[in-house]
Amino acid sequence: MFELSLSFIERGIVAAMIVGVIAPLVGAMLFVRRSSVVSESLSHVTLTGVSAGVLLAQVMETIPMNPLYIGFGFALVGSLLIEKLRQTFHHFQDLAAPMILSAGIGLSAVLMSISTAGYNEWYDYLFGSIISVSPSDLRFIMITAFIVLLIFYFFQKELIIVSFDEEFAKVSGVSTKGMNFLFSILVALVISMSMKVVGILLVGALISLPVAASLKVARSFRQLLVWSVILGEVAVMSGVYFSYHYSIAPGGMIVVMSVLLLLLFLLLPSLMHRKQEGSS
Amino acid sequence: MKENDCIDEVVRVKDVFFQYHGQPVLENIAFVIKKGSFTGLVGPNGSGKSTLIKLILGLLNRRERGEIYLFGTPLEKFKQWSKIGYVSQKANSFNSGFPATVFEVVAMGLYGKMGLFRFLRKGEKEKIDEALNTVGMLPFKKRPIGELSGGQQQRVFIARALVSEPEFLILDEPTVGVDAASVKKFYQLLLKLNQEKNITLLLVTHDIGVMTRYVTDVLCLNKTLHFHGTAQDFETSDLSSVYKHDVQLVTHEHGGFHT
Ligand SMILES: Nc1ncnc2c1ncn2[C@@H]1O[C@H](COP(=O)(O)OP(=O)(O)OP(=O)(O)O)[C@@H](O)[C@H]1O
Ligand SMILES: [Mg+2]
Repeated sequence: MFELSLSFIERGIVAAMIVGVIAPLVGAMLFVRRSSVVSESLSHVTLTGVSAGVLLAQVMETIPMNPLYIGFGFALVGSLLIEKLRQTFHHFQDLAAPMILSAGIGLSAVLMSISTAGYNEWYDYLFGSIISVSPSDLRFIMITAFIVLLIFYFFQKELIIVSFDEEFAKVSGVSTKGMNFLFSILVALVISMSMKVVGILLVGALISLPVAASLKVARSFRQLLVWSVILGEVAVMSGVYFSYHYSIAPGGMIVVMSVLLLLLFLLLPSLMHRKQEGSS
Repeated sequence: MKENDCIDEVVRVKDVFFQYHGQPVLENIAFVIKKGSFTGLVGPNGSGKSTLIKLILGLLNRRERGEIYLFGTPLEKFKQWSKIGYVSQKANSFNSGFPATVFEVVAMGLYGKMGLFRFLRKGEKEKIDEALNTVGMLPFKKRPIGELSGGQQQRVFIARALVSEPEFLILDEPTVGVDAASVKKFYQLLLKLNQEKNITLLLVTHDIGVMTRYVTDVLCLNKTLHFHGTAQDFETSDLSSVYKHDVQLVTHEHGGFHT
């Protein structure tokens, strides 16, 4: 297959490019839904899943299994759980995410200490390591990216309407339950696919920073999507470039680039001699 | 009841009771809205008007008792939501940081009608322009919704409800925050929709004086239904004067709240 013929550097770059498109795309939807914070806690649940996956792979050495799949499974369950809590305890919405977050990180700490995996392997999942993207990892990233794009293609309208005005969506006959479920899947997909590139601790940044910068310039939802993807891709590519030339951790460098982009866009209006008044 | 028996009925509400956390809000509500009518729903603050509308739209489903039919179909089985347009009272409680343009917001009114795959086609874009033109917001088409005034946003939400060409339009205090001159135009627009396009209208409002000049029927609600009849009957009833007094105070407070 295609991913087998690539060198490890090329694999890393392809993985980073894919994540650079998908993470900001889903991030834009999450922002509109005012649930960016959910992705933060979910990433920790995904870590639990990966920890469990690594442990499982050690116990059952005969079955080759990528821990990312188990990470995705955990992320999905966590995502659905948050959604359920969000609906059940309507007034405690803000509580649901931190609850899951603490439970997730606690459990993965426990699993980590049981497992005999080396520090480096954990480090890869925490902060990302594009040079360790295996052919199987790249396959996982490509499959999940494809699913995200499919969901977007078919349900973009419904996802937007539910995010913008849930009541109106219901009256339009859009299944809000179904769309909330799709949201959960999207978040779980994007987090588990970003893990090898930016790592669990930094995925939240890649989901939210390009979108935050784009908000400064986008004048429509369509523009928000386009800008988010462009800025996400710029951050990922420049991050990879600098990390390669100065041997810096790529996950960290990608996030630093996103922060710089955000700062640039925040300062942009005042740099442009206040041409457009009132669009601060 | 068979579906065909009541083809000219848009809404039938039968013995409906509703409570929020043990607090009764609606008691023994029963009425019918006929196709082609223009009904004004009035009552003081907290009388249950919005609650009743949300029940009719299936947005609240913990109904204690009673039955609701839409176009002759029990609410639970009703599927033809594109026949119904809705402008909620808190239309501007949306995410104002959302960088959607006026055009994109109105386009959402068509989403329920469009199936999978489909993106906006030319005919649909024209419909959006037409709806925006109807409410006088066409020049603002490309502006982000968050940068409009409250009254302008309200008009955009009315356009969103109109764009799917509903047969039944429910408006919950759509003119709050809209200036007096526009309110008059707005009523004339509703009248036009009602008479020329034969759209059945249900309008919640506090400006009774203006409303009674346009509507055909009046529903007067305060936990129970105090009046249901024609606009003329309402004008001559003593309820009218009582409510007028009550309600003008209320409208005043509303105005103060929004400035
Ligand atoms: N979500 C809710 N939870 C609990 N009680 C509610 C809720 N919404 C409304 N109520 C109560 O139900 C009653 C009816 O409210 P409703 O919003 O239907 O009144 P309304 O007639 O629309 O008033 P207004 O003219 O101010 O819009 C009020 O006493 C209100 O306090
Ligand atoms: Mg109300």
